[in-house]
Amino acid sequence: MSVAMLALFGGVLWLCQDFGPRARMIPQPLAVFGIVLTLIQMVWHNLGHEEPPTMEMISVDANAIPAGGEGRPREERTQEQLGRWGEAGAFAIVALLVTMVFTAGIFPAVFVFTAGYLILSRYCSLLQGLAWSALMTLAIYLLFVLGLEMQPYHGLPGAWFQ
Amino acid sequence: MIDAITAGLFALLTPQALLFLLIGVVYGLVIGILPGLGGVVAMALLLPFTYGFDPVATLALLLGAHIATIWGDSVTSILFSVPGSAKGLALCFDGYPMTKQGQAKRALSASATGALMGGIIGAIFLALCIPLIRPVILALGPSEYLMMALWGLTVIATFSDGSLMKGLTASVLGVLTAFIGMDVVTATPRFTFGSEFLMDGISFPVAMIGLFAVSEMMKMSIRGTPIIDRSLVREDSTVWQGIRDAFSHWWLVIRSSLLGLWIGVLPGVGASVAGLAAYAQAAQTSKTPERFGKGAVEGVIAPDATMGANEGGGLMPTLAFGIPGGESMAILLVAFIGLGIVPGPEMLTKNLDIVFSMVWIIVLANIVVTVIGLGITPWLARLPSLQANLMVPIVLSVCFVGAYATRGRIEDVLVAAVFGVVGYVMDKYRYSRANFVIGMVLAVMIERNLHISLNLYGKDFLLDRPIALAMLLFVLFTAVLPFWRARRKKRGVRGGAA
Repeated sequence: MSVAMLALFGGVLWLCQDFGPRARMIPQPLAVFGIVLTLIQMVWHNLGHEEPPTMEMISVDANAIPAGGEGRPREERTQEQLGRWGEAGAFAIVALLVTMVFTAGIFPAVFVFTAGYLILSRYCSLLQGLAWSALMTLAIYLLFVLGLEMQPYHGLPGAWFQ
Repeated sequence: MIDAITAGLFALLTPQALLFLLIGVVYGLVIGILPGLGGVVAMALLLPFTYGFDPVATLALLLGAHIATIWGDSVTSILFSVPGSAKGLALCFDGYPMTKQGQAKRALSASATGALMGGIIGAIFLALCIPLIRPVILALGPSEYLMMALWGLTVIATFSDGSLMKGLTASVLGVLTAFIGMDVVTATPRFTFGSEFLMDGISFPVAMIGLFAVSEMMKMSIRGTPIIDRSLVREDSTVWQGIRDAFSHWWLVIRSSLLGLWIGVLPGVGASVAGLAAYAQAAQTSKTPERFGKGAVEGVIAPDATMGANEGGGLMPTLAFGIPGGESMAILLVAFIGLGIVPGPEMLTKNLDIVFSMVWIIVLANIVVTVIGLGITPWLARLPSLQANLMVPIVLSVCFVGAYATRGRIEDVLVAAVFGVVGYVMDKYRYSRANFVIGMVLAVMIERNLHISLNLYGKDFLLDRPIALAMLLFVLFTAVLPFWRARRKKRGVRGGAA
């Protein structure tokens, strides 16, 4: 993670060279600051310290109290048990929906994605899944297209028809 | 003045104005709950329907919708840790842990009551301060706004989740992300890689949808369990508990409301900064700051009270000078022009009755939102126990449609997805997403005001602006304070052990 951060800040620093003095006045020193912070973080961890210099701060962590009230370790254990496949699945779900939106258009993608998810996860039967997702797609369509006057995106079929 | 107050009230108490107010509030609640869409979108969409009606009824529709979005935003932050817009971010920190502890009803009702109290306090101070605020606003320039933005950055320490280095790194990333696009000062495209889409920059609501909503749904799909498993955690709070909490923390409500009012008065600062600042001041002034972030009801009341009062504050520069306090106030300004109302000193003399109508609209809209909010709270509190396999596809779909609807650009769907992955990774490695957002919010304000200050006053602008210098000293004090307190505490512990 730290190496990725270093690469990112280094890239920013490199890109800043193309800007004028005014345009890089803030991004450039910030990128340097980011590199310094990441290096401190790396050194600190390699010296075996858990946390950097102390200060009185409030630990704001929405995951601090998971369902069951047993603290974070329970969640971490569950995630570890699920392993990388769970993570890869989550990335795949997002990638799939985005690909479907770009290719099939926004509302067909929503319908197919929700129906597929509900049916494949065995939340409900085939017919129920189709009915639920049709109802939800209709609700989203009414709300965004008719209510909020959004112009729907039609994906590749839209481009063909044009 | 008394005549204007009563005339303003009677103008609002017509069937048409009251009906418009109710429609606006219900519509605003729905829009507020939708991810990515906030008060600005709500008002912008209503604008075409405002012409040809009575001015007070029109203002009731617009302001009612805008005020309702505040609580609408809070609902999803509290129940799912998914802020409807940037304003609702601060509600995630304690509202969501409260939901996980079976205190959703209490959190939602405390939030609604806090917003009501803040809104009323804001409206009262708006009425009282209108003649006084003009010299104050005129005394502040870009250098002072720069200092206010820097003060906002000191909040980062509050949200650093145990690691200051990671917290700072996250905020640096947020600031750099905000610089993607055309630099308005130098007309230089930055980090756009030749992309026309990136010239417009990263849409803030879209980034929020990704960082919070999409990443939360990714986590939920991995976990496969609902936010609350009712077999483990029972919903044991009541709506009355939340109402009592808001009233028992009356001093916090007043402080937060005044803060919101003040931030609202300053053009361009916005409610998202107000909510975060309110949370930070509530945490910093609490006798038990260690409870914050783990389900402290004060962490819910303070941001909502601030955001409620912020609307009253935002009206002041809009009405008195024609300078909008924020994006939504800019839309209100457009509505004024359509209605033939000219903002400026005349508003405080010839059209004072309309000003007081707006004060009454804020009060009444807040009351209606709270009544509806408290009424639907028991049903809303059931939502987090819905199964993950139902929540994930529905919320993800709404998020992507919301991301697209923000600017009508399909590329924003991809941006939301990318930020979803970024949010997930940041959460996994404990880089604060809140700090990232704070960096994004404040970056543009800092850069713009720094450039204007340098142009107007030169490199030594702080020496020319004593108020800015005093504010800088205050910023340094608040930045150093947490370290000093930690050091003192450590010494105390060592002394106790010895």
